[in-house]
Amino acid sequence: MPLDYKRFNGPEDSISYKRFTEDYIKSYDQLYQELIDENGVRKDGRAVDEARKMFAINDVVTQAKGSAYIELKQTKVVCSVFDPREIPHQNEFSQLGQIYCEVKFAPFSCPRKRRPHAPEAEERALSVALRKALEPTVCRHLFPNFQIDVFVYILEHDGACLAVAINAAGLALASAAVPIYDIITACTIAVIDGKMIMDPTEAEEHLAIMSPETQTNHGLITMSTLSQLRQITDFRQIGSLDVDCVTKAMDLLQKQCMKIVPNIQRVLVSNVIKYHKERKKLEEEAREREEALNKKMEEWKLLLNAG
Amino acid sequence: MADLLLSSTEKIFIVHGVQDDYRSDGRSNIDYRPMELETEVVSHASGSARLRLANTDVLVGVKTEIDTPKPDQPGLGKIEFFVDCSANATPEFEGRGGEQLANSISNMMQRAYQSSQAFELKQLCILEGKQCWKLYIDILILESGGNLYDAVSLAVKAALFNTRIPFVKAVLMDGGNVDLQLSDDPYDCKHLDVGCAPLLITLCKIGDKCVVDPSAEEESCSVISVVVGVTGNTKSYCSGKEIDSVKSLERKCSTIGMNGSGSLAPQTLQSAIMQGMVAAESLDEALGQALLRERQENVILKKHAYGFLK
Repeated sequence: MPLDYKRFNGPEDSISYKRFTEDYIKSYDQLYQELIDENGVRKDGRAVDEARKMFAINDVVTQAKGSAYIELKQTKVVCSVFDPREIPHQNEFSQLGQIYCEVKFAPFSCPRKRRPHAPEAEERALSVALRKALEPTVCRHLFPNFQIDVFVYILEHDGACLAVAINAAGLALASAAVPIYDIITACTIAVIDGKMIMDPTEAEEHLAIMSPETQTNHGLITMSTLSQLRQITDFRQIGSLDVDCVTKAMDLLQKQCMKIVPNIQRVLVSNVIKYHKERKKLEEEAREREEALNKKMEEWKLLLNAG
Repeated sequence: MADLLLSSTEKIFIVHGVQDDYRSDGRSNIDYRPMELETEVVSHASGSARLRLANTDVLVGVKTEIDTPKPDQPGLGKIEFFVDCSANATPEFEGRGGEQLANSISNMMQRAYQSSQAFELKQLCILEGKQCWKLYIDILILESGGNLYDAVSLAVKAALFNTRIPFVKAVLMDGGNVDLQLSDDPYDCKHLDVGCAPLLITLCKIGDKCVVDPSAEEESCSVISVVVGVTGNTKSYCSGKEIDSVKSLERKCSTIGMNGSGSLAPQTLQSAIMQGMVAAESLDEALGQALLRERQENVILKKHAYGFLK
């Protein structure tokens, strides 16, 4: 997407009115108690190790070669993949095909702050992360000197947006019939006060990154895997965790990634079935029309012969 | 990275060497190359360090400025990293060529320093909600001979250790404005507490094994490397009486990331993280000793500054 420099971006010094509400400067403990009660039940009623329900469909953007829409409650992401095209502005031959990723937040996507129109550091970092995750997935040797464009638009952000973006991109790539080694799935885990919290919401992510006064483990991990091949394509952690915690989180993430695979597969298979049925129906209709036409022809021939 | 021409036979030679734990320059898989470190090399910066790791040359300068803290973190200061890949290192960095690498290094550093267990931003606070120190950490890559992440993180920690922040003598509130009074004496200043600042350790996967501190040649043989940020131990950075008053903290991962276009098996990743922790421990201790010695020499003024003359 070309950058529109002439676009008016709004006053720089405006601030969210939420700064003046009481919620704004809640302490770490207050936030913690609000999000997780003493029984280990989260604000939205989930258990600590329970992920949100996922909704996924593909081919939502008709102009794109392949596209996908994934929703995890309030996190909503659209992704589209376009045909391979020659790498622009490059005069060197590249043996491997390239993947161009662009992640963009909608201006109204985040609960804390309005996103400016110009790409900012976080979006750029997410784009790089997405590219790193997708590179080992795609059979890049099959299209040398070409690039595949993957665009992700985050409509609403309520945590785990990179993981959802990777899942959507994987689904879109598969539905665009881009050769891939395996279906890529990803998920995020937050560690708050040593507790592993699967598939965090934005508020939980915020708390996980916030540094507590004590020396407990806190942090955020996003991992993307190719489950059949048992490979990790990307792993990013932030915060402060000890090694045991990282290892434990890795196991949990791997299991969760495995759980997502059948969902994606189901969407893809049902899509194939749908197209197959549609095609059958079309063929049927064509045959019926042809039969009717042939019948008419016969009638006319009889009429002609009789006349 | 730098334009390297390696034949496939040369690459096989390197891969086989790593397999037998005997690399082409004689090191084992967990050895670092010798480094040279000098602090206080730039006179106009609050703190600076230059690190030379074999052919990799990094210069870091820390500038301190006064800023207003973020509204949601009124008691914290700010720290920002900027990486500049000089075209001197390789012609590829010319123009915007090094931008991507620079971005990924500065991103990684920012992520590693994010947690308060890695770097305490509270020590940069002047007046809560009103004024704080902002550290601009400018990293200049003068030569690149592999293993940039490790070199940068070492140099940054050394530069931060060397950084002096002037004492604020008085803070006056005049209406809504804050008026600071700083001492005129350039020696009237405090050092930062950077003992637990993280070091980045790159583990380059070559064949089935991971090596620490890859040279540029080795980097071109590998498709994936893991970067682990490990927090330091404050104890290694204290001398004399202080040493008993600080308690030793467990080393933790402050960031993990992957570089390159390949993928990894979970077991490999786990063992790489373990290897990174072990490497970080000895590296952090060595850095602490070197920096303490340097500070000692600075105090008794017998240090001979080399700068770029060596």
